[in-house]
Amino acid sequence: METSFAITGKGYVIIAADTTAARSIVKMKVDEDKIKTLSPHLLMAYSGEPGDTVQFAEYVERNIRLYQIRNLYPLRPSAAASWIRRSLAESLRSRKPYSVNLLLGGYDTATHTPHLYWVDYLGTMTEVPFGAHGYGSYFALSLLDRYHDPEASMEQGLATLKRCIDEVSKRLVVSPGTYKVKVVDKDGVREVEL
Amino acid sequence: MNSFAERFSTTTAASQMRNAQKLADEDELDTAMWGSNAGFGSLAKGVPTFTVPAVADPTAFLRLHTDDHADPSCRIKIQHGTTTLAFRFQGGVIVAVDSRATAGSYVASGTVKKVIEINPYLLGTMAGGAADCQYWETYLGMHCRLHELRNRERISVSAASKYLSNLVYSYKGMGLSMGTMICGWDKTGPAVFYVDSDGTRLKGDLFSVGSGSTFAYGVLDQGYRWDLTDEEAQELGRRSIYAAGHRDAFSGNSCNLYHVKEDGWRFIGNYDIAKMHYDGPGNVAGSPGQGYGYDVRVEGRTSTNAPAVAAAA
Amino acid sequence: MRLRRFAKELALYVSYPIEAIRAPSDVCRQVGVRGKDVVVLGVEKKSILQLQDPRTVRKVVMLDDHVCLAFAGLTADGRVLIDKARIECQIHRLTVEDPVTVEYITRHIAGIQQRYTQSGGVRPFGISTLIVGFDPHDARPRLYQTEPSGIYSAWKANAIGRSSKTVREFLEKNHKDDMSREESIKLTVKSLLEVVQTGAKNIEISVMESYGKVTNLELSEIEAIVTEIEREKEAEAERKRSRLAATAAGQAAMSTRAGDANEGSA
Repeated sequence: METSFAITGKGYVIIAADTTAARSIVKMKVDEDKIKTLSPHLLMAYSGEPGDTVQFAEYVERNIRLYQIRNLYPLRPSAAASWIRRSLAESLRSRKPYSVNLLLGGYDTATHTPHLYWVDYLGTMTEVPFGAHGYGSYFALSLLDRYHDPEASMEQGLATLKRCIDEVSKRLVVSPGTYKVKVVDKDGVREVEL
Repeated sequence: MNSFAERFSTTTAASQMRNAQKLADEDELDTAMWGSNAGFGSLAKGVPTFTVPAVADPTAFLRLHTDDHADPSCRIKIQHGTTTLAFRFQGGVIVAVDSRATAGSYVASGTVKKVIEINPYLLGTMAGGAADCQYWETYLGMHCRLHELRNRERISVSAASKYLSNLVYSYKGMGLSMGTMICGWDKTGPAVFYVDSDGTRLKGDLFSVGSGSTFAYGVLDQGYRWDLTDEEAQELGRRSIYAAGHRDAFSGNSCNLYHVKEDGWRFIGNYDIAKMHYDGPGNVAGSPGQGYGYDVRVEGRTSTNAPAVAAAA
Repeated sequence: MRLRRFAKELALYVSYPIEAIRAPSDVCRQVGVRGKDVVVLGVEKKSILQLQDPRTVRKVVMLDDHVCLAFAGLTADGRVLIDKARIECQIHRLTVEDPVTVEYITRHIAGIQQRYTQSGGVRPFGISTLIVGFDPHDARPRLYQTEPSGIYSAWKANAIGRSSKTVREFLEKNHKDDMSREESIKLTVKSLLEVVQTGAKNIEISVMESYGKVTNLELSEIEAIVTEIEREKEAEAERKRSRLAATAAGQAAMSTRAGDANEGSA
């Protein structure tokens, strides 16, 4: 089942999402990237209703890009998160709402602070030091309460993330096989191998 | 200087033009143009609309009259049993499908064309609602041609599949039922996209859709390599559809095989599944020369492992 | 009868705005030059008022990563059109999964401009645009122009804005095929200097070298080019003067010799 995690650390946010696209009992694809790079310092992991997820993510992606082209600078993470939450909230009250859950990780280059926002399909948004969506969250959240360190180095952060992934693989019946992991820090966005 | 109210008080074409001219002629208005009344509102192309059943609540109407998981006994039966597959390899794209149409437990037809020839470079497969697939993929073909005329360039497979995906997404929840693969060759080479009526659209190397897809995957995944030769690839497509036709009650009759290359698609052939079971696909490239059926394949082989001495005695 | 009158009116209507762009309302002029694998946009900026922030007065803007637009005419109209074009660039990426081609966005912009000549209750866009860029997966530079009537066309080099005719004639004389980056920039600056003598500080040059690679030249770089051009002009003038002097001297000599001959014969 779809699972995504994100954790913050000293000057960075790590986001991980599984890479399977399933339909009924069949895995249609095993290398689907569910983390979008919205701007030079902003990442978004999405999960939820098939169809809605990609439609919403691409809609957000193009609007954030349009902002940057219009204004010559990108939205800061908090502003982007607010805009995205509002889009979801407005859609919730429309004829056909998007059912999409999000994790937004960004690095604010003005204040040198990493930010992580947890957003669900009802338009709930909260800033968190770590967050998760899907069945994986039942295992990961308690684990992170115990092991998360806001001052962790990148290596420590990735090690903690590995703990989450390993725990989910060990205990969840329908655990996903592979994850894509992306990091955002002062140097921008990059993908990392675990 | 005239008042702004006067400038914009007339609406005929000529006076509008005169106003534009006047504005352009005056230096001081250059950067300080305000309230240009460009009248954006009156240019609206109209509210975008799309076609829905002419009843008060189209969603409820369709739910009432078409079968879904909740209510299998309904007025309109939609064809659900199918096996279709498509994969990308070194030599292009192979598309293979079965040809059975079922309505409930009744085999309505055994000679259905489940590959829709969108244009010489694009193929679409058909699973789910036959009418939905046929209609919307033909409609897609029309728009691909319009794209070609407008942009003096063939539409990319990704653009074509996205067009279809956006289209079915706009009808989401209203009863459309499609699971299709859009296959073709464009500037980027061979491409396969899976598009379904949920609005899911996936780019990939290998897909199979329909009730028999799991059986097809079983053969397909094991035999698949990127560097398959053309003959091997065609054989793999045939064999996978045979496997599904054999095991899945809602798939069968015959297999239609297509091969897409740089210069467009080519129909390879139609193969009877019962014949493939007993005699193989006949005299074609890549044929093993015997039937695909398990009992044909293992004819004369036994698992009996009697000791040599006992056998001698 | 009525139809004929309408046709006449239409003809008037569509030809007017082009004149509007040539009207002296716009002190700026924009030049686009296409080289071998580079395309250059040059703008002569209207002098900025002392207390004005120059960053808020832009005549060259990006539509997308790989397309640049310069316009002449009513700035306010330009802003609206540019926003429509930018939105279309993103819509195109969203629906076709490919960036726009330069021709596509040009056609779109021209289409909008055309629409505003045909609907009631609206005024046409009082701007001409130059659109430059590179198509995805293609190394050839592109340069297009649109007019308020909705006409669009491709060019090797072109100018819009005030006295664009003079500049275009200059470009017609001096443009060569397959110019290098330096040659293209120089031709752009030269053509801007051709009409009115302005300093380097009023010139803005944007160079696009390949897909998505855009650079705005620094003031010092432009100054260097301007000085070089002035030096060349000076040298040219010097040569002309000396040639003139030589001719004059030659004529003088000829006439004296003629005089001698006359004397001799006498």
